[in-house]
Order: sequence, then structure tokens, then C-alpha cells
Amino acid sequence: MHANHRYSVARVLPLGITLLAFIALPVCADEWGSVKGRFTYAGEAPVASELKADKDIEVCGKHKLVSEELAVGADKGVANIVVFVRDKGVKVHPDLAATKNEKVILDNKGCRFEPHVSFVQTGQTLVIKNSDTVGHNSNVATIKNPPSNSLIPTGGETSLTFASDEALPAQVTCNIHPWMKAWLVVRPNPYAAISKLDGTFEIKNVPAGEIELQIWHEKAGYISEITVGGKPEKIAKGRKKIKVISGNTDLGEMAIDANLFKK
Amino acid sequence: MLATPMHLAHHVLALPIQSANCLTAIGRQVSRLAFLLLSTLVLASVIGCGATPPAYFRHNMVESTKQRLNSDQERQVATVLLAMFGTPDHPVALAETGLDESKLHLAAGPVRSDIVGRKNGLYREHCAHCHGITGDGLGPTAAFLNPYPRDYRPGVFKFKSTERADKPTQADLVRILHNGIAGTSMPSFALLSETKIEALAEYVKYLTIRGETELALIRAFFELDDDAKGTLPETREFLVEETLAPIAAKWQAAPAAAIPVPPIPTNIDLVASIAKGRELFYGDKANCVKCHGVTGLGDGQANDYDDWNKVIVEADKEIRSGTEQASQASTAGMSPEQLADHRLQLVWLEKFHQVLDGDALTPRTIPPRNLRQGIYRGGRRPLDLYYRIYAGINGAPMPAAKGTVPPEDIWHIVNYVRSLPYEFDGLLGADRPMVAPDRF
Repeated sequence: MHANHRYSVARVLPLGITLLAFIALPVCADEWGSVKGRFTYAGEAPVASELKADKDIEVCGKHKLVSEELAVGADKGVANIVVFVRDKGVKVHPDLAATKNEKVILDNKGCRFEPHVSFVQTGQTLVIKNSDTVGHNSNVATIKNPPSNSLIPTGGETSLTFASDEALPAQVTCNIHPWMKAWLVVRPNPYAAISKLDGTFEIKNVPAGEIELQIWHEKAGYISEITVGGKPEKIAKGRKKIKVISGNTDLGEMAIDANLFKK
Repeated sequence: MLATPMHLAHHVLALPIQSANCLTAIGRQVSRLAFLLLSTLVLASVIGCGATPPAYFRHNMVESTKQRLNSDQERQVATVLLAMFGTPDHPVALAETGLDESKLHLAAGPVRSDIVGRKNGLYREHCAHCHGITGDGLGPTAAFLNPYPRDYRPGVFKFKSTERADKPTQADLVRILHNGIAGTSMPSFALLSETKIEALAEYVKYLTIRGETELALIRAFFELDDDAKGTLPETREFLVEETLAPIAAKWQAAPAAAIPVPPIPTNIDLVASIAKGRELFYGDKANCVKCHGVTGLGDGQANDYDDWNKVIVEADKEIRSGTEQASQASTAGMSPEQLADHRLQLVWLEKFHQVLDGDALTPRTIPPRNLRQGIYRGGRRPLDLYYRIYAGINGAPMPAAKGTVPPEDIWHIVNYVRSLPYEFDGLLGADRPMVAPDRF
């Protein structure tokens, strides 16, 4: 800045904007919003096939077991679609910081896993228990974390924690009862949700601004295309950039073509 | 893809240029390596016909096709691996691997002798025909063996003294080489000197760390940001610190992951211990009976796969359903973009199909062990059985009793299992038939 230069508007304006941006930044970061949406099945809703319980028939045979690979609700909502914020370093809302101390329960109940898809944060404890009257084992096939396979007798439980996040949800199986399958999502922050049978999901208190979601389903893998308001939208590797506003960000109804679930 | 000598030659010649913008530490290794390779090539051309072409590592085509890598990305992985690990004739071990290069040189390369009484190329002399030059379990004899030879690349080993997910110790690998694996085609190498066995164990670790690094690199493409444009970062931070070092660290941590073994309980009569073990075997807690069967003949569970075969089974499933779907799709109503995607999918399906034909063996189920034969693959010492029951078997369906069955009770199960081949009617089990009605 030399003395013979006058400070014209054109000169000062960019500086002003930069300054403003710096002042505005902390304000933005303190704004949080919920991300909501609903996944629907575009096609004729499939009928879940029955599973044949050929082990421990006297106990497992009593339950009407059906395949949970693809659960479509009455309103064509698709259950068990995993949605998470892809950015691993995303700022976490103070209210959510304590969620890491909560235990996530995965139960062996009625010769199936409950829930079918679990979500656990890195460092959070996953308790696998057994409410059945038969013994189970839970084979957790994580890739980045050490895989484990523990026996879980009636009333027994085992606790697991995960140091690293997983790029793909890990499969959980029971080798004694081969029809039993579940999935485990491991993320480094609390920003993940699993859609309910009506297809809805909600991720609460996401920092406002642009974020990238990633959307996965066990039969479709990372979803490659969704249709919003009749318009198909390609989302490579299930990645969808959205703008989160303070309050509610509703992504609306996202239809997924039936063919994508035929993997 | 990379399987032809032409491809390899291309790699070798392109290397100095590629590595120039790669990390410097590797770069140094590489220029030495490139010199060696180039001189080998020059030498080979001087000697002319009759010289053995240089051996090469096979690319992990199953994983790389599954992850939909394109040929450029396959080449990226191969280039990084070449820089980090060298070739089968000239292995390189970065300091981070913790591997002893002098041991590797004894095991690597073609079978040859430069000093009277010393033979090099031990891996190719003793191992490669089953386990393959790459350690992928795809040697020429592999398809004829049951069980298939181990594919080291996923870094999973079954018979060891460490916790389930941990690596085997050097002593574990040496024990397997020394004793062989009963009930399989793996022979004993007890006639080899200690130096040679140590060198081979080191080379197995080298191939494994290489294979694990390859898998990590192939999988890393999926997590790249869009602006990386499908290219892995060629930085020391990514390649060595983030990718190689965590893999090597697990190997170095193996001795610390030893399974704690309490002494065999001596305050109980063996017959009473066996009776207790039997109760546990059939009980809900240890639940051995569910897979090893009411008769102990291993006929309780017949449809499970181990982790190595499961990969192929799942790939096969994906190809089948993908092909079915593609054949049903009508191209008439497709937009140009959809049509292009459809064609890409057809090409990918065809490629994956060919890869499974050429780079994978027909999957086999894994039967639970027949405990009446007295053949124990991981060793027949009571201690070996303790390890198997306590930690389960990594890569196989066998779960861990750790945390569920108290250590003392595990010893009772060991005693019962050891009695099973001799459990005649009378003393312990008049109700136990010796032969299953029909097994498989």
C-alpha cells in the first residue's frame, strides 16, 4: 500500500468480501440441520422369499423366517438403505459427541439378527448378545478392522470396538445357522442413518453447508442412480452432494429402479 | 492383462520415468532395481535363446476386476508394487516392511548356485509349483490338490499361536514348514537346514505383505475423491505411511499377540476331564456339535465356504445375476448414455467371467474337521488344539471359544477331542456310533 495509491472501491471490495467471509464462517459452522428423505422402490414390490431353517429346527423352525435382503414396505418404502456423510473430518454437533459412549446392541433373536443393519461409530462399543435358547456365533467380516468370530451362547454377549472406519458395510453371519445375515456400518462420526420400512431416514444435526452423502444397500451396493421428481440423477459410487440448511433439509422422495437391486 | 512378457518388458522399461515423480526412498531402490533388471534384459538378449525369461508377479485380477479398475489403474498398482517390492528375481524390501533382504535373496529367483554348496531360489525349488510365483495359491499343480494351496495375498493364516485376527509369528511359519500340514498336500521340509527354512518363512511374509499391499491399493481407488480423477496419490505419505506401514506393523506385532495358555489342569483325572469335555462339546456354550456333528465326523455343516473360496463364490454370483439382468434389458428404449453404460457393463461381465476362468479355482466348500481320524492340520500337540478352540480359525468358519468358554474348560474339550479317535463303545460312549450313517 503506497501513499500515492488511492483506495478505490474496486480495490477495497475484494478485501471487504474476504473479511466478511472470515467473519461469516464461524456463524455458518454453528448452524446445523437435519437431512431427511425417503427411498422408494420403482417397480413391483418383491415378495420376500422364505428361509429354510434346517439347523436347530425345534427352535428356529418355529419362527417364520424370511429373507431380509430387500425389504419393501406397503408404501414401496425401501428399508435398510444406509445413508452417511462421506467426509470423515466433518464437524460434529456438541449434542452428538456423547453418542460415542452409548452401546449399540446387535441381538441374535428368533434365529435372526436384530437389527438387520447396525451402525456403530469408531471407538463405540458394539454388544452382540443372544436372546435365543440356542447358541449362535457371530462372524463379523470387517476388512480394515480385525475380523472376529465369537461363540455367543444363550444369554451370552460379546463386546467389540472398531478403530478404523469401513469403506463398505461389513457382513455379519452365523456359521451355525447359515441363513442368518446382517450388516454393520462403521463410520468415524455419528452422521449415518438406516432407512425404516417406510423408506424414511433422518440424519440429525449435520453442519450447514455443502456435504456429500453416500448411499448404500446390500443388494444394490452403492446406489448408482436415483429418480427425484421424475428426473433420473446419476450418483456415481452412491455419492450425492447436497446443501444442508439450518433447520430441515428434505431430499424428498428418491425412487430407485428395481433393476438396481438385482445384484 | 499384465500376464504377457511384452507387458512386463513395457513395465520394466517405463519404470525409471514412472518412479521419478514417485517417492524418493522408493526411487533409490527402484533405480538400483531398474539397473539390475535392465542389465538382466541386456544379458538375456546377449545369451539369446534358451535363457529363462524373467519371472513376474501376477496382478490380483479378481479383486481388481471386482473393484472395476481400468487398465491404467491396474498399471498404476503394478508400478507402485514394482517400486516397493521388486520382482520375483530381484525382491526389494523397504525398511518399513521389517523384512531381511538377505534372507529373501536366498529364497528368491531361479534355482541356481553361485557358491559351492549354497543353493539359491529355494521358493521356486520347493514352493512355487503349488503356491505360485506370486504366492496366490495358483501354481500349476494347485487345481489338482484338495485342499487348494494357500493364497497368501489376503494375509490370513490359520495355524498359529496368536489371536484370531493377528498374524502368525515367524516360529509359527517355521513350524508349518518343518512339520507340513497333516491331511493336506503340504509336505514337511524338515530335511532343509534351519537357515533355508528361515529364508522361506521370510519369503512367505514378503509375498504376503506384497499381496496385502496390492489389495489395499486396489481398494483405495474406491475411496478416492472425484477430483483425484481415478489416480492414486504418488506420495510417500500415502504409499508408505498410510498403506504399507500399517500392514507391516501387524506382522511386527505378532509376537505380542500370543494366546495366553494356562497350564493343563492337573487336579482332575483324565477320564473325568474327557467326560467334562464331552459335555461341553455337546452343550450350548461351546456348541462344537453343530458343525462337527453328533458323531464328531464333521458332518454337521456341509455348505459353508472359507474366506478364500467365498470371494470366488460371491464374484460368480455377481456375474450370474449381472448377466441375467443384462440379457433381459431391452436396448430399444435406452438413451445414448444408458446404452453406453449397458455396453460397459457387458464388457465388464465378460472380463470378470474370463478372470474367474483364468485366475481362480473352482470354489469348494469347507467341511468341518472329522475328529475321529486323529489328523489335526494345525498340529497334534494338545497346545495346538487349545489354540484352535480358543481363537477359532482365521479365514475358516470355526468361531473362537475365547470369552465364552473358560480356559480350563477349553483344556477339557482338548482332552475330549483327543480321545475321539479312540472313543470305542464301552468306556465313554455306548451311544456314539463310530461311523455316520452317510456322510455327504
